[in-house]
Amino acid sequence: MIHFYHVTKKFDRYSTALHDVTFQVEKGEFVFLTGASGAGKSTLLKLILRQIRPTEGQIVVNGRNLHSMRRKQIPFFRREIGMVFQDFKLIERMTVFENLSFILTVLNVPPREHKKKAYQALRAVGLHHKLTAYPPQLSGGEQQRVAIARALINDPLVLVADEPTGNLDPDLSSEIVQIFSEANLRGSTVLLATHDRDLIRSSGRRVITLEKGRLVEEKMHTVERSARGESLFGIGSA
Amino acid sequence: MAREFTSSRGEPEVPSNTITYFFREALRRIWVSKRTSFVAVAMIAMSLFILGAFMLVAENLQRAVTRWQGRSRVNVFFENDATPDQIRNVDVYLASHPDLKTRHFVTPAQALAQFKRDFANLSDVVNQLDQNPFPASFEVDVTRGAINPAKFEREIAELRATSGVEQVQYDWEWVKRLERIIDVVNLAGLIAGGILALAAAFTIANVIRLTMMMYREEIEIMRLVGATERIIRGPFLFEGIVQGTVGGVCAVALLFGVFELARRALAPSSSMLWGFLFITFLPWQKIAALIAGGMLAGWLGSWLSVRERVIEEA
Repeated sequence: MIHFYHVTKKFDRYSTALHDVTFQVEKGEFVFLTGASGAGKSTLLKLILRQIRPTEGQIVVNGRNLHSMRRKQIPFFRREIGMVFQDFKLIERMTVFENLSFILTVLNVPPREHKKKAYQALRAVGLHHKLTAYPPQLSGGEQQRVAIARALINDPLVLVADEPTGNLDPDLSSEIVQIFSEANLRGSTVLLATHDRDLIRSSGRRVITLEKGRLVEEKMHTVERSARGESLFGIGSA
Repeated sequence: MAREFTSSRGEPEVPSNTITYFFREALRRIWVSKRTSFVAVAMIAMSLFILGAFMLVAENLQRAVTRWQGRSRVNVFFENDATPDQIRNVDVYLASHPDLKTRHFVTPAQALAQFKRDFANLSDVVNQLDQNPFPASFEVDVTRGAINPAKFEREIAELRATSGVEQVQYDWEWVKRLERIIDVVNLAGLIAGGILALAAAFTIANVIRLTMMMYREEIEIMRLVGATERIIRGPFLFEGIVQGTVGGVCAVALLFGVFELARRALAPSSSMLWGFLFITFLPWQKIAALIAGGMLAGWLGSWLSVRERVIEEA
């Protein structure tokens, strides 16, 4: 589903954000992407979303070669990807419902279905009672869940998240990862970037580790049980 | 189950419900930036008002010319002491020339009465005179397009040379002069209105540019979630079109108001000099053209801004 072949990204002559990165994420997989700050995680996600182009190498997402993708095709490609950003990227002047409704407008969903779909997406993240609230009126965790609802509203083929638990407490973090797990069970391929080691250790998922722009490790983590003997996610790996 | 997208080709670039979205967003953005939008609308309205004023003057001049062209008049004025025989000779001359035979004799008394009717405010002046200053005359109606100009000039010269004839006047020279004036008015209107409309379009372009700066983050989010450039640009284009259209409607309303005021102000004096400039308002085709001009200027302004933005992003 996501294929990186010897991808290098340089922003200028002196800084290489990614160096010869090769990996694959298969359809239906749930993979963590980790690494310290500045390791190149965000650059890698930007490449997947075709916000930037690689300096060298090829990227294929859902069968599309991003290198040869024409500018006009990019919006349609992005509609196949649910993206969750660390800073949420919600439109602040719009209510929660309007934020979701805008995506549905982009996706050409008839307006009469917007309310129902928005409600369903928000119910999945437990925020169906916040339809008329504005993002600044919500807590960080709530805003992140709205962003997730927006990413999931169209059942995307690929779900990509950039530090979705970055600013959240552990309980809320595992709750949010569980939402991703449920989306993964419904068929979405998930790539979740995080530097939260605890979250990764308890996941039992494949982990790709970046260090100074290089892929240094790719391994499967065994599920660590909590003191009560439960997986932190409650759901097995895909 | 995750939705399968096999190809984007069959998908419409602008979903059917986006026109409503464009319009709603455009109105909302105009409302949010009321002051700058007002400046843009005022600029468009002023430039179209000026263009419309030129069009209105030209329209009324053109009507006058058309009317005069259709039934031009030659006036043959007699000397005060012209004899009945001399008058009869002229009558016979006119009757023998097909171009001039549609004629009407005006006695001095009839000429005086006509003057008093046309210039009511000057009738007191005439009443103070000892004798009627108006000579007898023939009013000859000619169809301008139906005659040979060279032959006509020859006939006028012969009439002037006839004994008892004081003066022969005809209004073609005025018509020709008016036609030239109309051309100048139209050209001046087009140049002034065009320059101002262009300035207004650039004002709108700057207003839209400001709005786009305000919505920069939002635009970035829209791009990231898969909005096409057309969906992103649509509300801005509609914003310009709405501002231009409102400007056009305001210009027409203002022009009509000024026209009505001028007509009412000039009506009591029945001024022959200015009155004919305010006989009729613009026909609906020209009104529609003015509003369409506003719409076009608005579209041009917003198009310039969104185009720049796209180049910047490329």
